[in-house]
Amino acid sequence: MINKKFIVSILTALLVGHTYAQNVDLDSLLDAEMKNKTKSATQRTEATFTTSRLINSHTLETTQAGVLDFKVSHRFGTLNQGFYNIFGFDYASMLIGADYGITNRLTVGGGRSTFEKQYNGFLKYRLLWQSSGKTNVPLSVTLLAGVMYATDTAAVKRNLGITVKPRASDKTSYVYQALIGRKFGNGFSLQVMPTMVHYNTVATSNIPNDLYSIGAGVRIKITKMTSLTAEYYYQLPDSKMPGTYNSLSVGYEIETGGHVFQFQLSNSTGMTERTFINETTNSWGDGGIHFGFNIARVFTIVKPKTTP
Amino acid sequence: MHYRHKISITTLLVFLITGLTVVGQNNAIFQTTNGLVTFRSEAPMELIKGTSNQLVGFLDNNKRVFTFKINVRTFEGFNSPLQRIHFHENYVEAEKYPEAYFKGKLIEDQDLTQDGIYEIRAKGVFTLHGLSNERILKTEVTVKNKKLYIKAKFTILLSDYNIPIPRVVYEKLTDEIKVEVNAILQPR
Repeated sequence: MINKKFIVSILTALLVGHTYAQNVDLDSLLDAEMKNKTKSATQRTEATFTTSRLINSHTLETTQAGVLDFKVSHRFGTLNQGFYNIFGFDYASMLIGADYGITNRLTVGGGRSTFEKQYNGFLKYRLLWQSSGKTNVPLSVTLLAGVMYATDTAAVKRNLGITVKPRASDKTSYVYQALIGRKFGNGFSLQVMPTMVHYNTVATSNIPNDLYSIGAGVRIKITKMTSLTAEYYYQLPDSKMPGTYNSLSVGYEIETGGHVFQFQLSNSTGMTERTFINETTNSWGDGGIHFGFNIARVFTIVKPKTTP
Repeated sequence: MHYRHKISITTLLVFLITGLTVVGQNNAIFQTTNGLVTFRSEAPMELIKGTSNQLVGFLDNNKRVFTFKINVRTFEGFNSPLQRIHFHENYVEAEKYPEAYFKGKLIEDQDLTQDGIYEIRAKGVFTLHGLSNERILKTEVTVKNKKLYIKAKFTILLSDYNIPIPRVVYEKLTDEIKVEVNAILQPR
């Protein structure tokens, strides 16, 4: 009798001991510690878009601190020019420029395009960064302010319908954009782009100096290194110059190491905001489609000591 | 009545001893939350190095088991910020497989509460990029002042973990990645 009860008590004790042992199971200790770590650190969402440009548009991506992003872009003539002009290849509009990351949030950049011999410069600031962990931010917001200065006097005269020599201010226009977007998982990113382009001088008094538009851009990843992109700008009804169309572009991009190659079809030929958002004179409907490409190459100028 | 009293005392005693053993077991657990992991790819055209001090690990000296884990996003270094992003996006796929871990048993019976320097083989399952492989890793464990100083050097093959190297970076990234671990485990 005693023996039996004694065995039972030992068994009970063993059972209790076993339960205790489970409480100090290494895996649950590890999981708790890992959870702790994730909660105490902020994880910023990276690579919402492949590079700082989608097709013509800026993306919400800023250039990393100390990195120079060199860009060369071409837009050919329209496909409907036929075989004699080899579907637009006889004509090319170019832009050469670069972006530089002052900090991870602040980028300065500029370029020169053959269209109207235009110079452009911009500042871009990442106001909000999509992140998870300690701080949860559902989306990213980047602000862009840019200036464009056309030096082709003849073209400016033609645009404004004037015969006198244009002043410097007549050749200058500005762009202000908010790039608001989110990366939904790894495969899909979306951004909306409320935009205002300011012209110092416009051709006629019924064209407003401030032209408002709203754009949308998407990236869909196909493989680790390739994606499909699209962007569209809707010009608000009273914010439109006569004879212009809304800009619609579709693209395909390939990322290899430090290069990004982007190929696209667009009804816009310009590559700066005022030219592609507000001065697109071709339409998809009648084959006024331009083939084009962007090549971007990054160079690390200042190697970061610590990554954020 | 008399018997029952005796038995409950025995029961109590057994409970007490078990309890003591449990306390003893707790003391047998060592842990780290900031172990150092370094990896190197020594390709003909480029040397790529990444470091993290966020290795979390537990070792039970009584049960002779261990478990180590690291968040792959915590690796820093690389030759450019873009390379770091590519590491996350295109190679380890950090969003899908955020953690790498090694879990298993100690082969040698050496009691790790005795000061000394020991060669201990750790046999377990190494998981990276969602794929697991059984590995036996040689480690050097130095026991001093109740702390375990663990050092390990080993290699992993990216091809074992289904991480392909694109042709354009053949000369810049090796399949064989050298890994070094340095961790100090303290009693829990």
